[in-house]
Amino acid sequence: MKISVKSFTSPKGYVPLTFLIVLLFLPLFLPTYFLHVMITMLFFAFVGEAWNIIGGYAGQLSLGNAAFFGLGAYGAVLLTHYYNISPWIGGILIGGAAAIVLSLITGLACFRLSGPYFAISTLAIGEVMRLFFLNQRKITFGAEGVTVPYKGNSLLYLQFLSKAPYYYIALALMLLGMYITWKIEKSRLGHYLVAINQNQDAAEAVGVNSVRAKQIALSVSAFLTAIGGTFYAQYIYFIDPDFVFGLGLSIEFALIAIVGGVGTVMGPVIGSFLLRPAMEFTNAFLGATYMGVHLIVYGGLLIAVVMFKPEGLIGWMGGLYEWFLELLSGKEN
Amino acid sequence: MFDITTLTQAIVSGILMGAIYSLVSLGLTIIFGVVRIVNFAHGEFLMIGMYATYFLWARARIDPLIAILITGPLLFLIGAGIYKSLLRRVAAASDFSKIFLTVGISLVLQNIALLIFTANYWSVKTSYEKMVLSLWGISISYPRLIGFLGAVILSFLISLFLFRTDLGKAMRAVAQNREVAMLMGINPDRVYIIAVGLGSAVAGMTGTIIMPYFYVFPLVGVDFIVMCFAVAITGGLGNIKGTLLCGPIFGIAESLGILFIGADSGMIVTFLILILVLIFRPSGLLGEGRL
Amino acid sequence: MVFRIVIWERKLGGGSSLLLEVQNLSKRFGGLQAVNDLVFAAEEREILGLIGPNGAGKTTVFNLITGVYPPDSGAIRFQGKNIAGLKPYQTCINGICRTFQIAQPFREMTALKNVMTGAFLRTADVEEAKRKAEEVLDFVALGGKKDILAKELTAIDQRRLEVARALATDPRLLLLDETMAGLNSKECDEAVSLINKIRDKGITLIMVEHVVRVIMSLSKRIIVLDYGTKIAEGKAEDIRSNENVIKAYLGEEYRRAIRQ
Repeated sequence: MKISVKSFTSPKGYVPLTFLIVLLFLPLFLPTYFLHVMITMLFFAFVGEAWNIIGGYAGQLSLGNAAFFGLGAYGAVLLTHYYNISPWIGGILIGGAAAIVLSLITGLACFRLSGPYFAISTLAIGEVMRLFFLNQRKITFGAEGVTVPYKGNSLLYLQFLSKAPYYYIALALMLLGMYITWKIEKSRLGHYLVAINQNQDAAEAVGVNSVRAKQIALSVSAFLTAIGGTFYAQYIYFIDPDFVFGLGLSIEFALIAIVGGVGTVMGPVIGSFLLRPAMEFTNAFLGATYMGVHLIVYGGLLIAVVMFKPEGLIGWMGGLYEWFLELLSGKEN
Repeated sequence: MFDITTLTQAIVSGILMGAIYSLVSLGLTIIFGVVRIVNFAHGEFLMIGMYATYFLWARARIDPLIAILITGPLLFLIGAGIYKSLLRRVAAASDFSKIFLTVGISLVLQNIALLIFTANYWSVKTSYEKMVLSLWGISISYPRLIGFLGAVILSFLISLFLFRTDLGKAMRAVAQNREVAMLMGINPDRVYIIAVGLGSAVAGMTGTIIMPYFYVFPLVGVDFIVMCFAVAITGGLGNIKGTLLCGPIFGIAESLGILFIGADSGMIVTFLILILVLIFRPSGLLGEGRL
Repeated sequence: MVFRIVIWERKLGGGSSLLLEVQNLSKRFGGLQAVNDLVFAAEEREILGLIGPNGAGKTTVFNLITGVYPPDSGAIRFQGKNIAGLKPYQTCINGICRTFQIAQPFREMTALKNVMTGAFLRTADVEEAKRKAEEVLDFVALGGKKDILAKELTAIDQRRLEVARALATDPRLLLLDETMAGLNSKECDEAVSLINKIRDKGITLIMVEHVVRVIMSLSKRIIVLDYGTKIAEGKAEDIRSNENVIKAYLGEEYRRAIRQ
């Protein structure tokens, strides 16, 4: 991608740049609650990008990515709790490695399975992880969950007293997710994944090692999702198996990518930036009496997208964005 | 430590529960066999059946055994309605659409239930709920026994329907070869509606049967859907005989798991068997079926 | 050009070599013996015809050679190396590529991207793959349609696309499965000239065909299968009048009718 100063003078260049600058300065003036919403928006965009790599590009519909998420979360918290190991190592390195190993096992066992069978098998694996962590309460604290040991303000232990550092990390994660997805999309692997998604037999006939391509995609997705789990643990300070290994979370990863635009770089970003605020505000207005209402909205959107616009809202957003750019360049002339 | 009586008790409990699993999975397998859609919302149809049974009992004092005559048609209409309005659009589309449409429906139904009924656990009380049958040292609670009998009778009636009636045969024809069925004058779309309606009705009626000994809450379907997948896939998706066979197998496996490993392990045993089946014989013990 | 007539049993050194040797190849599906003790060879730069009535096992032979399923018994030697049991992507890496009877393009991709998928076998660089793909598309006369989605191409163009995609993998052996089916006279001639162009590039071809006049003109050597067994092999003229071949295609009555 060639970036020159010139390219920022046209709307196509300066609009994204402006967005980015606004994003960078938001923590300075946004109240805490809204900052929290932003953090969840950025964070879910990141884990949505992770799901998108295996679910969107490769077309392998995983309903069990929470398995990887939970490994990152528990890796971070338990290793700090027992051995005082920093979550950078406990969560990202060790939890991430565990996630990759799990992804290798999953791939070995499940890539031969077609559509619904693959989805169900990943669902089963996610649930097995959840039940296992529930069951082994001596080590994992079971259903009670476990709290992140308090370390104050510490980069080493990935804990901060204010929201701003979390915000910037979440922003960096989202940009990382977007970057990795973009790189994959443009590479040979990306082309292979799309080919496999559309016609695996034809792809193999022209030399594509589909098992290896899918495995790489799943392992990348697993590792990134585990990083997401570590971040989540360090941000919320409390994890339990029913949430971090939960089917609801797995579905939400997929939902964000699908509603936004499956198999595109911007899709999960759009999905997250739409769904998370919708959820927060639904919950805020309808309050605690009607918990779960936002999920009705989620489910409804999923149904609507699948039925009427399977390629996701990016179709409209793209058009809207083009129109906006036209408007700006028109204004200048 | 585990004498023959305890073992037999576990196996008997497993068979009693297994018939229930067979029945509810039958609904899933019928829908897949005819329409080739894996209904991720199947557990929610069971849940609706349970709630309907609860309210028929709580408001109108209708005994669950009679309520079945209402919940069956009710769920049939709901299932058929969902097919006509939503599923029909994706019946010929990609796996992606089929999977996530039913996942979306599941989400919506679960949370509407949560919204309307709250997260509380409700149950019905029957005149026979405390009665226990004692046979050779084994005790069987009446509700479970009646549930078992109900499941067996319903499974039998449905098999009769599918294999002996014209409509049932039409369904199987469409499941086996849609084009030829059309040439024979069968309207596949109508058959699809009936298949989804029937599958949903089966799930709903199962809900009614188990109300006397199960609590209903918005997420009760989630536990059952996993078992449905396990039973239906192990038997062979779309394979009626396979599904009927595997219900008791999983019931017994779950029972024995609880007996030998521990209280929480029922689900884990189920999952592990499912994962093993998916790895080594994804088409199921008796093979994928066309009813 | 001089065409060699090759009867492979008599081939011993000198001249072009055997690119592909199939020895005692057998495959059974349940009760059906799809391929029965098949023996044949293809030599470099020839266009070998493979014909036979429907269900004779021709596509199965392609599937066995490319590794879609492993043979029950027998050997498949490509450039001297036994490739039986390799997976399809591996046989492609080795230099064998095939087209499908019903074209299988990547429907939601452009023609260019379709062919790039093939080109990526020999290079990981996107730009290089793109250039190669454009070259190949021009070669098959689809250059002008490179940015059209595969699903919007005509059936004939989809077949051409399939050939282009296979060519992009730089095969030494190309297996064409009924490329001529349903083509009119003009399209047939275009296809024939394309196939000759491919052969002129040094690629060996084995073609399964039903369109008899085409295969008779393109291939100097033809193998005939029936019920998985080779029932004839030889020059086009000889095959045409071979009694067993006629019986296989048209039945016993016709054979008797011809005799009279």
